[in-house]
Amino acid sequence: MVGSPVLFVAIPLLTAFLIPLFAYIWKELVRIIPGIVILYLLVLSVSLYGQVLREGTIVEQIAGWAPPWGINLVFSPFTGLLSTLMLFMAFIIWMYSYRFKNIDFEPSKKYFILLLMLVTGSIGIVLTGDIFNQFVFIEIMSISGYGLTAFYVGRDSAEASFKYLIMGSISSMFLLLAIILIYSQLGTLNMADIASKAHLMKPEFKILALIFFILGLGIEAEIFPLNGWAPDVYSQAPGPIGAAFSGIVVKAGIYALIRVIYTLFDVEGSLQFLVIIGMITLIIAEMAAIRQDKIKRMLAYSSIGQMGLVLVAFGIGTHEGVFAALFLMVSHALIKPLLFLSGSYLVFNSTEKSIKELNGLGKFMPLTSFLFALGAIAIVGLPPLSGFWAKWSVLTAAANSGMLLVIGLVLAISIVEIVYYFRVVNRIYFFKKEESVVPKIPTINAKFAMVILAVIIVAIGFYPDLITSYLHEASETLLDKGNYIQNILSVAQQVTQ
Amino acid sequence: MDQVKFDISLIEYGFFISAILVIMIGLYGAMVKKSLIKIVIGLSILESGVNLLLITIAYVQGGTAPIFSPGLLKDMPLTVENIKALGAGMVDPVPQALVLTAIVIGFGVTAVALALVIRLYRHHHTLVIDEIKNLKW
Repeated sequence: MVGSPVLFVAIPLLTAFLIPLFAYIWKELVRIIPGIVILYLLVLSVSLYGQVLREGTIVEQIAGWAPPWGINLVFSPFTGLLSTLMLFMAFIIWMYSYRFKNIDFEPSKKYFILLLMLVTGSIGIVLTGDIFNQFVFIEIMSISGYGLTAFYVGRDSAEASFKYLIMGSISSMFLLLAIILIYSQLGTLNMADIASKAHLMKPEFKILALIFFILGLGIEAEIFPLNGWAPDVYSQAPGPIGAAFSGIVVKAGIYALIRVIYTLFDVEGSLQFLVIIGMITLIIAEMAAIRQDKIKRMLAYSSIGQMGLVLVAFGIGTHEGVFAALFLMVSHALIKPLLFLSGSYLVFNSTEKSIKELNGLGKFMPLTSFLFALGAIAIVGLPPLSGFWAKWSVLTAAANSGMLLVIGLVLAISIVEIVYYFRVVNRIYFFKKEESVVPKIPTINAKFAMVILAVIIVAIGFYPDLITSYLHEASETLLDKGNYIQNILSVAQQVTQ
Repeated sequence: MDQVKFDISLIEYGFFISAILVIMIGLYGAMVKKSLIKIVIGLSILESGVNLLLITIAYVQGGTAPIFSPGLLKDMPLTVENIKALGAGMVDPVPQALVLTAIVIGFGVTAVALALVIRLYRHHHTLVIDEIKNLKW
């Protein structure tokens, strides 16, 4: 045993609160320590993931209380994949923002504290096996998200943050209502225990709890009626935080929603609901994206659209569908941060942050422009980059399940995506530069972070086999509900014997 | 005896109904009101309502505090049945623990919300939500 899953929550939380103390010793520690911590957790996550693939799921009991009474953390091939992905993205974002706030010391302290909290919350959501504990982690994640959104004082960031806060806290109250409903009916908070007893619940209470869960979790997963916060938050938050939202927070939200629908209850029709809500999200988001004139709002709507596609793929419900959804999640978690990171350097010195101001920057910021174009090609799904294989697997999964409507929709949406992404790329390379815009050359660590992402996207594009076996394993784990219940509750049986 | 039982269940329903009423008032405040401060107050009321509901499901008629000690058994032998019988007369402790956590979280959210209201007021010099729309709703 190289370490225990509880370290993923304990270490970043502890470090976040110790950062002000480190600052007294040496101010540079404020920037260095978070990176070391995230790198350590990434190495731990990779090694634990390897161990889990060989020896099976690790169930960690907190404070010796066996499930279903105590809180447990589950490190399975599915959750391990997501936590590794999130920590990797956190490391990239740390590397990118290492010199980002070089001017002032005080903001960088707060920035790294909140970033570590955001990572703690997201990984906690993925690893925990207890619904109330998940609620607490969602609150940790979203409160640090509110803080990070309002980071810049000059912009309209407080307005975006307040909007996010109102929607976020109303929806978290619905989540708490769902938890109350389940507890009053089943008397348990453990996910595996709920899943094994769910048939005892009255169907009307089950549907009501499911509706509350969707209202509560949909806000982080950016599903259709609940995603009004996303474009404002993505456009007002600092660039790397936009990347953190699209690469880490949204993935945690999708995970929580999928865990509820796949594991907690098997309500008939919930998969069809996922397909329908995903398609509505996809269509509306892509239609909105094409109308945007601010680059980050466009990226935000594109992000919402991709999440809709992920939900559609999860809604197919077969092994192939889940595999496609996970592939899409991984590939989106790599590509969209690349677009946000390079895009926020492209609009660094412009006032409006609009697409017009990108005119002709290709000659002046060659590397950043190239990386943005690469990300654009990858996300619309042109071969040979990772986005192509993700969309291809969605199409094959839909074809094998006979969902022709989904195939038509995905192809039509790809055309819309090509239109609005290539409009931007066209402006970057083939338009004349505006006089007022001053190009900003990225710092060396930011260049390095973006190049790493680009290399991985190209590598997955040429050798998709690099990750497919892991994704197959993860989708197998998600679909095997009986095994999940047994893995967790068998620990309890060992204790009582 | 029947009369007394009826009264107690009436009290219990009263808690449920008032909790749901408080939730409705909070939702109304948070969603309909135009003043930023009133929205934050609405959120606070909503949280109180949910917490009240959470406490209500733990309610046991005539229950005692959920603290177990061997002295409670008196002369009865220490068997599983006796412990279960004692437990039946106690209030469920789990929702109380959940409510404590939820109150702390609610406090944090309210504090962040008020901090944001202060910043919005400094930036726009108004608390009316209709006048703060630099971003599209």
